[in-house]
Amino acid sequence: MNPLFGNLRSGAAALGARTACALLLSLACVAAMAATAWRTDPSASHLGFKATQAGAEFEGQFKRFTPQISFDPADLAGSRFVVEIDTRSADTQDGERDAALASNDFFATDRWPTARFETTGFTAKGKGRFDARGRLTIRDVTREILLPFSFAAAPGGKQATLTGGTSIRRLDFGVGQGEWVDTTWVGNEVKIQFELKLVPAPDAP
Amino acid sequence: MSLRNTLSSYGSIAKLLHWSIVLLIIAQLVLANAAADLPNGIRKLEVLAWHKSGGMLILMLAVVRLAWRYANVRPAPPPTMPRWQRITAASTHGLLYGLILVQPVTGWLMSSARNFPVSFYGLFQWPDLVQPDKALYEVLRGVHGFLARTLVTVALLHIAAALYHHFWRRDDVLRRMLPFVRLRPS
Repeated sequence: MNPLFGNLRSGAAALGARTACALLLSLACVAAMAATAWRTDPSASHLGFKATQAGAEFEGQFKRFTPQISFDPADLAGSRFVVEIDTRSADTQDGERDAALASNDFFATDRWPTARFETTGFTAKGKGRFDARGRLTIRDVTREILLPFSFAAAPGGKQATLTGGTSIRRLDFGVGQGEWVDTTWVGNEVKIQFELKLVPAPDAP
Repeated sequence: MSLRNTLSSYGSIAKLLHWSIVLLIIAQLVLANAAADLPNGIRKLEVLAWHKSGGMLILMLAVVRLAWRYANVRPAPPPTMPRWQRITAASTHGLLYGLILVQPVTGWLMSSARNFPVSFYGLFQWPDLVQPDKALYEVLRGVHGFLARTLVTVALLHIAAALYHHFWRRDDVLRRMLPFVRLRPS
């Protein structure tokens, strides 16, 4: 079920107006259908992060993540991203560090195997650049973040590229428990960057 | 005492470079052994960070030291020294120079191969030399350990020779590299 759909329905139900509800429902459906639904090409897409250890920045990536992208620059109200990230797929090219990331001190993948990002709104900044506002959940912590990105569609709309990134503080999400709350040797700031290669979804909702 | 070398003694710059590298190498060995005994955790990260910065400092000092060596005269070996000892001394010095240049680079390569880039005391980051590669890392780790043992062995030979000159031959070979020592006029 589309959560946007659900939110609108519960809000309208609180008003106790059945007709208003039906009207809003159909409007929400029209809005949601207006933005193009895209399918992500996983082999050409990348979700990476950069963190610092002892003042030196290293790169890693999440090998498995599932972005559901509905986006149309002409219909930001009907656009929406939902990205689920498999925290077990964090890969920093070092087995010991990856094991530490999976442990209870960091992602605690046994308890929280999925991190999630869900947009709540978009702002156009011109020249194909946008800000997405959304909720990022890592472990059991959800926070609002701002995600700047660029959207470039090939002529004809047969493919598009979505690139962007932001920076978060790992401790805001409890990533780093125990001795790891010390940021002297493992920096608090983590940069996130992504590039998604999109093709129109064959069966647009 | 002059900054530059003379024909009879090393100058203060050469001495400073020699002894700071000595102290750094001792610190490197202590840190490396401490890290080997630590479990994965923040302490190990910290100890290895000091080791990596120290290694890069040695590399920089080694480059300066070699440049200084070629820009200066060198005190000549005592004329009474037999030929085989001169050859041995020259080879030992050559090996030590080579090791203080190459050993930090193998450590740097190791860090790159394991995707643990090298910082310089948190001031800046050195570029990675190779792409992350687990098999390459294992090879480099072996080489780094072998070179460390070689360095210790050659340094012990170097120390033994210096003591031999000082206590047995009673010449100025050790004294002319010692800090705060003024040579007797000969």
